[in-house]
Amino acid sequence: MTTTNAGLSRRRFLALGSAAAGGALAVGCSPASSTNTPAAAPGTGSAAKGTVTVMSQSGEFGPKEAKAAGQALGLTVKTVEYDLTKLTAMLASGNPPDVVRGMGATDTPYLVARQVAENLDPYFAKSTLIKADDIDPVNDLWRYDGEKQGSGPRYGFAKDYSQDCTIWFNSALYDAAKVTHPSATTPLLLDELLDEGKRLVKRQGAKVSVYGLNPNGLGLFTQLSWLTDLAGGKLTSDDLASVDFSSSEAQRALTWYLDYAKAGIGPTVLNPDPNGWDGPTFQAGRMATTLSGYWLGGLFAGDPKSAKVAGFAPAPQFDTGRRISPCFGATGLWMPKASKNKDAAWAVMEWFLAGDPAKARATGGWGIPPLKSLQKLMPQKLPYQKQAYEVQMAEQQHFSVTSSTPYVRQDAINAIITRELPKAIKGTMTAGQFADTLNSQINPQLADGKKRLR
Amino acid sequence: MSSALTEVRRSTVAETAVERPDRKKKPPTLRKARTFYLFVAPWVLGFIGLTVFPLGYAFWLSLTDSDGLSPRTHFVGFQNYVDIFHDPLTLSSLAKTGMFALVTVPLSILAGLLLAVMVNQPVRARGLYRALIYLPAVVPPVGAALTFRLIFDRDAGAANGILSTLGANPITWLVDPNARYVLYALVLWGCGGSMIISLAGLQDIPRELLEAAQVDGASYWQSFTRITIPLLSPVILFQVITGMIGSLQSFAPLLLSSGSLSGAGAVPQGNYLYMIHVFAQYFSASRFGYASAMLWLLFAVILLVTLLIIKVSARTVFYTVEPEGASK
Repeated sequence: MTTTNAGLSRRRFLALGSAAAGGALAVGCSPASSTNTPAAAPGTGSAAKGTVTVMSQSGEFGPKEAKAAGQALGLTVKTVEYDLTKLTAMLASGNPPDVVRGMGATDTPYLVARQVAENLDPYFAKSTLIKADDIDPVNDLWRYDGEKQGSGPRYGFAKDYSQDCTIWFNSALYDAAKVTHPSATTPLLLDELLDEGKRLVKRQGAKVSVYGLNPNGLGLFTQLSWLTDLAGGKLTSDDLASVDFSSSEAQRALTWYLDYAKAGIGPTVLNPDPNGWDGPTFQAGRMATTLSGYWLGGLFAGDPKSAKVAGFAPAPQFDTGRRISPCFGATGLWMPKASKNKDAAWAVMEWFLAGDPAKARATGGWGIPPLKSLQKLMPQKLPYQKQAYEVQMAEQQHFSVTSSTPYVRQDAINAIITRELPKAIKGTMTAGQFADTLNSQINPQLADGKKRLR
Repeated sequence: MSSALTEVRRSTVAETAVERPDRKKKPPTLRKARTFYLFVAPWVLGFIGLTVFPLGYAFWLSLTDSDGLSPRTHFVGFQNYVDIFHDPLTLSSLAKTGMFALVTVPLSILAGLLLAVMVNQPVRARGLYRALIYLPAVVPPVGAALTFRLIFDRDAGAANGILSTLGANPITWLVDPNARYVLYALVLWGCGGSMIISLAGLQDIPRELLEAAQVDGASYWQSFTRITIPLLSPVILFQVITGMIGSLQSFAPLLLSSGSLSGAGAVPQGNYLYMIHVFAQYFSASRFGYASAMLWLLFAVILLVTLLIIKVSARTVFYTVEPEGASK
């Protein structure tokens, strides 16, 4: 038998290679290659079947929780470590996870405006575990009506939360510096807090060995928004499309922060805490006061030394009489609109947010449960836990929703503030010039973001 | 025994001779071509899937206003490329990156070369020295950056600990303007890689040439500058090109400043290199189209720089073996 061997020309080889690679990529990216199985397995008669992929942090919803969810719900639950880059790629390929970790306070308007988050109202309406009158108001951070946060459909739910400007203080350091402990009922004035921070800071030569105060919270933009709000103004316009750092209230907020930063009594962008967060620094007895929120107390339950000295106090305020105790996280779960297995995804969400894991979390003290009925489970065994519980329960009435802008990520605004802040701290730029700089850099980004949403 | 082996060889040769006419059915060029393509296929497939496709996808993105999430993506043509040249932050980060490359590449190569010369001497335990000097080069960049952050922390770092022991005031190393020196130190920390390449080049230099120069009365310095350096020039050229490409794509400042990929905003202005800005545009500002255009611009810059280096080096690089086609 004779065959004609046409050979493998370079052109043909490359064409075949391209086709193979393209095919492989297409398969990898196509919805058909999803790990999700159909919503209802044949013959089961239930929609909540199949495979659910949860993208979260392994410490929150990892393989252990996936296994427990699988056993409790009769589903196959897979986990993917939370990573914004990966999430973006998965959403772009049309193969997103079914449930994703998120921060309701800052993510909700951004996700909803981009049409990637599923409206969960129909699921809440038929939920057996989550009743409308049991939902803590903080979950309103997961609502967005297209114009403002706090009303409209629910797009997610908090796993737990904190009012992030409440104070943890180290009573031993206060005693050593002969500073009166913050009151458990009356909020400190911000100017008093700053003065106390100056008295509490400990220095070895020109080096700081004990921070007097850390008011940085979860990000400078949210902190400055809160401070402006306390001063009686608003940093973000009503349409959420611009910021104004030049108003007298915003100037008061900026000036207070710059006074703190110039005093060198706590971490700033010019002198960051090498630990990266307050937990280890507080435990090491190197931080007198931090505006970190209730959740930090979870750390002290296993640390008798810290538990002995830790105290909890309400969020501070200016002398304007306005008392606001915000939540900048409300970390929880949301469901991508493109999820392939929504009923099963909701089953996992409901189980994790209101089922047994929620009860277990409530007793841990790492945050306030999102359901009122679970809040009585918060730890109160140790003296510091009891004191923190009482302060926290009283603090809840001062929570209110502040809308985040849907036009840019908070990260982008924080990046601009962080970039320009050193000049203001060093004094090469006044607070007024700093405000003008921020306005001139942030507003075009907001305008660009708004334009891209057209 | 020996005759038995001879018999086996003869029979094998005979069988091969019998098989040859069958193999002639396929032209040898086609056989060679097929073998070649089979061998390169894994790489080519990887290249298409992991380089050509992403490049093409990034180019398509660069023509849109994609934010990476929203299905509402608009075609904007070359507007992102136009915007680059009107964005002072992009242009300044590009300039800083150029300066960073111009400083760190020669420094790394020089440090590597000096270390290579040192450990090429016939000293005791030089293998140990080579290993110790090379060791930092194998430390993952994240680990090295984290260590540097701890060493140069203002309040708790070892660097200021030493300074305070000497009675000096602490220095805020990790912010402007000092942060760039820490960054340079971090880059130089890994010069063991350059040392290994230079050492291989040094060991390839024929000893006779150096001995002949010595006999002719040349000093060590004369031998080094007139024999060693010219013969090392291809190795140095290689390091310059790869070093420049690496420096222009450097991501080290981000690791040094925050240790996390969400901290682009915390990078001091002096260290705000081009890739940091690209990352911030992608994942903080969600400007996927613009950031993709920035990457294509960087690709063009790297291509131009590489071509320029090759052009400039044509008269200063000496090859012991003429490159193929050079004599034509």
